[in-house]
Amino acid sequence: MTNVLFLAFSALAIWSGWRVFRVDSMVRASFQLMVSFIAVGLIAVLLAAPYIGIATIFMMAVEMMVMALFMVMFMMNPAGLNPMMMVHQHRFSIAAGIVAFGGLVLAVLLSDLPSQPVPEGADVVRALGHELLGPSMLIFETAGVTLLATMIGAVVLSARSGRYGDSDAGSVPPGLTPGGEPAGRKPENGGGHHHHHHGGH
Amino acid sequence: MIAATLALLLALPLLVWTAAIFDRIGTGRGATVLGPLRSGAALLLRPNTPTEAPDRLNRLLAPGWYLALALVGLSVVPLAPGIVASDLSTGLVLWGACEALTVVVVFLHGWSPNAPLPLIGAYRYVAIGLPAMLLSMFVLIGAALPAQSLSVLAVVEAQRDLWNVVRQPLGLPLFMALGLAITLRGPFDYADGAELAGGTSAEESGPALAMWQFARAAMLVAFSGMAATAFLGGHLGPVLPGPLWLLLKTLAVMAATVAAGRFFARMPPARMLTLLWVVLLPLSFANLALVGVTVLP
Repeated sequence: MTNVLFLAFSALAIWSGWRVFRVDSMVRASFQLMVSFIAVGLIAVLLAAPYIGIATIFMMAVEMMVMALFMVMFMMNPAGLNPMMMVHQHRFSIAAGIVAFGGLVLAVLLSDLPSQPVPEGADVVRALGHELLGPSMLIFETAGVTLLATMIGAVVLSARSGRYGDSDAGSVPPGLTPGGEPAGRKPENGGGHHHHHHGGH
Repeated sequence: MIAATLALLLALPLLVWTAAIFDRIGTGRGATVLGPLRSGAALLLRPNTPTEAPDRLNRLLAPGWYLALALVGLSVVPLAPGIVASDLSTGLVLWGACEALTVVVVFLHGWSPNAPLPLIGAYRYVAIGLPAMLLSMFVLIGAALPAQSLSVLAVVEAQRDLWNVVRQPLGLPLFMALGLAITLRGPFDYADGAELAGGTSAEESGPALAMWQFARAAMLVAFSGMAATAFLGGHLGPVLPGPLWLLLKTLAVMAATVAAGRFFARMPPARMLTLLWVVLLPLSFANLALVGVTVLP
């Protein structure tokens, strides 16, 4: 039973992971990735890691939802239903894919994988908590602070009140000298930063 | 475990009917008791509406996923001491996963028809639903702290002396915000609001809409059961048998949720977002800190 479930979840994880690169929309790609992660989470549940497994499903649902939203926001692909190409830098990605696959296969084949079945009725969640807030505290907290910084960065990038003024009021970077020309790249066809009329060029 | 699953599956249609009746009381639409059945039957006879270039798979599956998430969420609620459909050591996390996936499913329901009004509803809902879900997780951690366990059975047992609603008075009201959000009602109904002509359901009709409304009511049942369990002592109570206590408390939470949906005014999404992030989320932190201090040995 466990073996059949393991194979089914693995197949689902691989298939949906492959679909991420074959579908034509950011939203579809995000949720295919979510399905892949959910299958991995269920495998973790099979491996007697119920907290890690279910928390993976929980986190991935939130993260992929946020990712879909932000990608649609920044890619300017209205609604995410418009077809678009999901792959780029073909040669580099093929090479990177082969190297990564080979490396992982070698790691699996060459390393001496432990076989320690979890005893029935072991308090795995409590043990995980002691590990996370004990010996692994530094790694855990570093990852947490990094994620927090990323979130703040994303909010700053997407907020209306940007670094150089409100985004809907034609924000410009400050000048290089006091009161001078705004720094940064100028539009190609000579249009100023401040004009509010759209069209007419 | 099998008995609990069967009991839940048998009780769910009746509870969904009750939820639909609660939703109809006081709306002036008449036929309070039989009205929901009649509307449901009428919807089943109508055809589904096609839209241009939809995402067929997700459009077809979204109502089913919504119902499935309600069922999985309900399955962690213990019916009596030791009797629960999903006997998990991490039941509260499973409930959290159902909350998070509900936001995804409601988004897909609005995104997949490829039509403007459902899409606006979907995007608005994600912005409001995610923080509402986030604060509910802090509230639930507060409920888990006195039990020192993420198992819902242990959370109920830890309330034998004192219910969580007394021990952490902020918990239930904050959790109700989540209930309103995941059942798409009242001040948190940014998905299916009337001003968007039904929002994510604007393009739906026929069996798909009937299924969506059934799932929405089932989610109300699941939320009420979970709130009754995490804060009102679940099946604990004198004289009456445990499952009956759970039923009574679930119905009470259900009525309170429907009433809250009617009572509180809608806000523009931007103001609601500020309220969630600036007021309610810090309140949930305060609640958690309070609980943490009281359970310190």
